[in-house]
Amino acid sequence: MTLSQKQKQYLMEFFRILAVILIALALGFLITLLVSEEPVQAFKELLTGPLPKISWTEAGLKIRGINRFGNWLEDSITLILVGLAVAVVFRAKQFSLGAEGQIYLGALAAGIISLHTSAPAFIHITLALLAAAGAGFVWGLIPGILKAYVNADEIVSTLMLNVIAVQIYRLLLIQWLRNPDYGYIATDFFPETAVLPLVIPGTRVTIALFLTIIAVVATWFLMTRTPLGYEIRVVGDNLKFARYGGINTRRVIALSMAVSGILAGLAGAHLSMGILKQLTLNISFGIGFEGIVVALLARNDPKAVPLAGLFYGYLRTGAQIMERSSDVTREVVLIIQAIIIILITAERVLPLIQQWRMRRKLPQELSADHSEAAHVA
Amino acid sequence: MSLDTVLGSIFTVAFIATIIRISTPLILPALGGLISELAGVINIALEGLMLVAAFLGVVVGAYSAQWFPGWPGWVYPWLGALAGILVSLVLAWLLAFVHLELGADIILAALAINILAQGGTVFVMFALTGDKGSTSTLASPALPNIVIPFVNRIPVLGVLFNAENMTGYNIMTYAALVLTVLVWFVLYRMPFGAHLRAVGENPEAAASVGINVRRVQYTAILLSGLLAALGGLNLSMGYLTIFQANMTAGRGFIALAAVYLGNRNPIGTVIAAVIFGAATALGAQMGTLNVPPQYIEMIPPFVTIAALVIYNLRRQAQLAANARKFQDKLEQEHGAG
Repeated sequence: MTLSQKQKQYLMEFFRILAVILIALALGFLITLLVSEEPVQAFKELLTGPLPKISWTEAGLKIRGINRFGNWLEDSITLILVGLAVAVVFRAKQFSLGAEGQIYLGALAAGIISLHTSAPAFIHITLALLAAAGAGFVWGLIPGILKAYVNADEIVSTLMLNVIAVQIYRLLLIQWLRNPDYGYIATDFFPETAVLPLVIPGTRVTIALFLTIIAVVATWFLMTRTPLGYEIRVVGDNLKFARYGGINTRRVIALSMAVSGILAGLAGAHLSMGILKQLTLNISFGIGFEGIVVALLARNDPKAVPLAGLFYGYLRTGAQIMERSSDVTREVVLIIQAIIIILITAERVLPLIQQWRMRRKLPQELSADHSEAAHVA
Repeated sequence: MSLDTVLGSIFTVAFIATIIRISTPLILPALGGLISELAGVINIALEGLMLVAAFLGVVVGAYSAQWFPGWPGWVYPWLGALAGILVSLVLAWLLAFVHLELGADIILAALAINILAQGGTVFVMFALTGDKGSTSTLASPALPNIVIPFVNRIPVLGVLFNAENMTGYNIMTYAALVLTVLVWFVLYRMPFGAHLRAVGENPEAAASVGINVRRVQYTAILLSGLLAALGGLNLSMGYLTIFQANMTAGRGFIALAAVYLGNRNPIGTVIAAVIFGAATALGAQMGTLNVPPQYIEMIPPFVTIAALVIYNLRRQAQLAANARKFQDKLEQEHGAG
């Protein structure tokens, strides 16, 4: 069986990213060596921690650590949704970093619907999810319009909107939504009709798992099978070409950020309606920014995002376990993440290495050719 | 506290002193951002570079007392500052290298540097002190304040020139003042500045007249790293004398916004940085009112966004005006011919 050109390209890309990950992990291990007294143990926890421990005992099959496995999946769900959000805007070459704020407002909107309306479960959940998606859409549309129509730099504007979003969230939580009887700042737990139903018992993996799969397919469909997706890709590849080709680039830029907001808003709904089941002062802990590495690992391709999200979620969960059971903090994952981003974006590394190998090979080949030529002559 | 007292405290010299102190760690990185922006290599990593410099300044400042016990005490903070500047320069060079030599997108690479700084500082801090929040266990020295002599006896000028307690401003505040003038001079009065701006305007044209584009861009990024480092050092060895996780708190990005609001020139950039500083100081003053603190926290980001919009609207209007002038001129020539 021979591979088509496209498949070959995919395969090359896959191995390149695999190499990047291995190099980043190796460098992370080297750094750990410098500070840790038990680096091997620490890295073993990092790399195997999230897996459930399956063992045969006399009582039969025994699975331990299912909650760790659950943590991995829960975290991956958030990462995949945020990764999709980032992949959409990055594909349009917009460097929106607004996912964090959109997560907060998505969670807030879902929380308000959950706590202040009542309906049968199916309708209640649907309404809350729609509210979260809507909040994310609006909070993505604002920097989108600012960029498209006023050319306001989206990096600065989204970072500032993140701060505003978190403060809106806290304002409403503290002034209105919180239950003052609790010793900490939080709302009541959501009514059962507004909590996402559990899928894997013993974990917090809910139907958000299926919603995420739907989101992946929907985003893939949007980007590859709809006019808007086509326009987003053209705008991302060549803005001038898109403009001359008659695409309303302003509309496309604004919408790319808004659509991205929908996905991040849903990630917020997953956190509030599936994981916490209430609103607390902190909900995301910066996970909005982790979407960047997920999108980059997936090369902004929606159908590769789940794999990237699962990988990075695995690393994050492993890092938490490592932090608990060794003298290395989980921040080592941020270092590994930074190395991954730099290596993936450094596009000329591979050609440079090839060039270097060619240069080393060339003299020998030349001499070989030479002798062959001499032979023929 | 009533609104009157707050208003009263705003219109005082002490409030101006507060603004100067808060603005210093914005002015320095903003000048750095300006240089890189004008050279066409926008440096989003200011935030991370500030953070590593702030961290290393504190750590080396504190440890050098153990490493070199016999040395005079005033040397230690400067050793720290030197280390902070060096590590910031190394990371800035890394950014320049992966962008200019390896073709990495400068925005993504800079975001990676920010993540590296954020994770790396906490990682090393925990390894050294066992604390992930701050370096409170380290006795870290401060960079000196400068006290202007004689003015203390004059009521208003004393506070203005030497801050509330007549203890003077941190040396980095004066560095910011001097560097503002220096950056202006280099950019507009020296060949290197002209080259740098030419590279930013049109790299191909600059290259065609023999300017080494790559070298200019390397230099610009390194200079922005130097200026960001000074801002970070001001935070951890002047404004406070401790390092806290993520203590830059977005200042590197606000500094970037100041570059745009300041119309991409040194004087405007510094004025914009002071406006942001004033917004923050105002927020701190209003904290004493009975207003939920969340409203106050929203002021600086809101001002930043407003500033970004105003800058771009003005720029669009300028471009439109230029285009109209050109059109008129064409028509005139046509009419005359």
